[in-house]
Amino acid sequence: MSFARWSMYGFFGLVVLSWGYIFGWTDSGVGDLLSGDSWSNSGRFLRQLSGQESKAVPAFARADRWLETARLAYDTLVMSVLAIGLTGLATFPTFVFGARNVSSGELGGAPSKSGIVLFYTVRLTFAVTRAVPELVWAMVIVFFLSPGVVPGAVALALHNYGVLGKLSSEVVENLDPGPARALRASGAGSLQMLLYAVLPQALPSFLTYLLYRWEVIIRTTVVVGFVAAGGLGREFRLSISLFHYTDVALIIAWYLILVVAVDLASAGLRRLVSGE
Amino acid sequence: MTWSSRNRRYGEWATENVAPYRHPDRNVAVGAVFRVTGLLESRRLLTLILFAAFAWSLSGVDWLGPMVHTGGPQALLRFIQALFPPELSPAFLKLTLVASFQTLAYSVASITVAVLIAVPMGLLASGAATRSWTTGLPVAVVSRFLLGAIRSVHELVWAVLFVYALGLSSATAVLALALPYAGILGRIYADLLNDVPEEPLRALRSSGASPFQVFLFGRLPMAFPDMLSYSFYRFECAIRSAAILGFVGIPGLGYEIQLSLHDILFDQVWTLLMAMVVMVVAVDLWSTRVRRSLVS
Repeated sequence: MSFARWSMYGFFGLVVLSWGYIFGWTDSGVGDLLSGDSWSNSGRFLRQLSGQESKAVPAFARADRWLETARLAYDTLVMSVLAIGLTGLATFPTFVFGARNVSSGELGGAPSKSGIVLFYTVRLTFAVTRAVPELVWAMVIVFFLSPGVVPGAVALALHNYGVLGKLSSEVVENLDPGPARALRASGAGSLQMLLYAVLPQALPSFLTYLLYRWEVIIRTTVVVGFVAAGGLGREFRLSISLFHYTDVALIIAWYLILVVAVDLASAGLRRLVSGE
Repeated sequence: MTWSSRNRRYGEWATENVAPYRHPDRNVAVGAVFRVTGLLESRRLLTLILFAAFAWSLSGVDWLGPMVHTGGPQALLRFIQALFPPELSPAFLKLTLVASFQTLAYSVASITVAVLIAVPMGLLASGAATRSWTTGLPVAVVSRFLLGAIRSVHELVWAVLFVYALGLSSATAVLALALPYAGILGRIYADLLNDVPEEPLRALRSSGASPFQVFLFGRLPMAFPDMLSYSFYRFECAIRSAAILGFVGIPGLGYEIQLSLHDILFDQVWTLLMAMVVMVVAVDLWSTRVRRSLVS
């Protein structure tokens, strides 16, 4: 039996176990979900979001509220760009050392002990930063940094450092080894090999992944803002706990505008990566 | 073209340098300046844009306000000290194990719901299941839009909205997590179903297979390994997402981390973080092996 098939059966086992736990040990709420009550509740929630439950002018019908929220959206955009910038700056000088073929000397040259130690250190750092979600990083970081855009960006950058680092290292591992070996054979040093054979091949994928991560980051800025107190996220949390539902609707509108804008910008910039 | 096409650039510079300003048309001269500096070379332009954006984001930061808490450095020191050793008492290890299982259970349950939504939606979005363009295309456009809409919103934002709309329960948490995942999986499924090679499908069609049979015996079997391996990759992401559902009160690693942080018990936080790392790495290794065995 192939490993994939064995894994599928294993996963089905996990599915049974998980649903068993959810139905058996937790308040599953499936019954409530099928009852008319919860649907009338959600209908009321939608009416509240659209401002039909109160006589006040809904926030999204007021130009001044749009402008006020625009400032928060601006902060959120700044946070996302700062986060992706930090991610890129931190990943760029390290990802090559997380590639097995570079450290093991497969690309030519002798394998060095320090290279192997560096490989495991870098890979462990990637694994730890990647495994911890952005929100948890943010919860930890607000113990040290004052609330605002910066702790949110740092939390986002920490998690994405691990993600981008792993992806980029794997790109290097899958490179065509020919150019590097040819350079080595003609007497190039390690640095020259990295600069002229490895980086030129790996950088387009690195940039593409970086831009893809920006799309993920803009969606997560709001969540990080819940605890790191920057931009739309904080206001979302405040407004919903104060039952200012039309403000919530306005914030969601700005959030969606940002998401769509960043998706488009990232797609446009990715075309620059592929050239011309 | 490569990144270090220095020779080509110098060559270009040499020819452009002959007489850029003698040209009567100013736009041509401007274009020459751009070419000389290499600004129009798309990757150089991209690098410039990225650095400019980063500089802009730095200018958006309030540098005058306090950046670090007054007790920040000490807190950081205590956080690092708490790693040696983390909380390793049997009672807490048992709690960590239970929390890990809860997070795993929520992630698995969400992935199953996500796949159940993503398969039909992806099929519709690929436009591969119907014969005619007149019905297939609008259906594909609408389902792609729906998939895009549900994945635009982060799972935790869905969760908060669902808590207010439907109340907090396991089912709403699973649904909140499943929606954005269905959006991503559905789109990838649609792309994979569209990207299969045409020749085998043509062979099926010419032997008289109906569009549905072409899909069932042609497209699906060819795209299935990639669909499976991508779903496994998403499973790893789902573990992290299930953990942060703790923010709305769903039990699991995220919830326990939040509690320990509230009590400033950093040694417990480390233990929980390690459990998180072990789980994610384990699933990552599993999914890598699955992918490898599917490819070969």
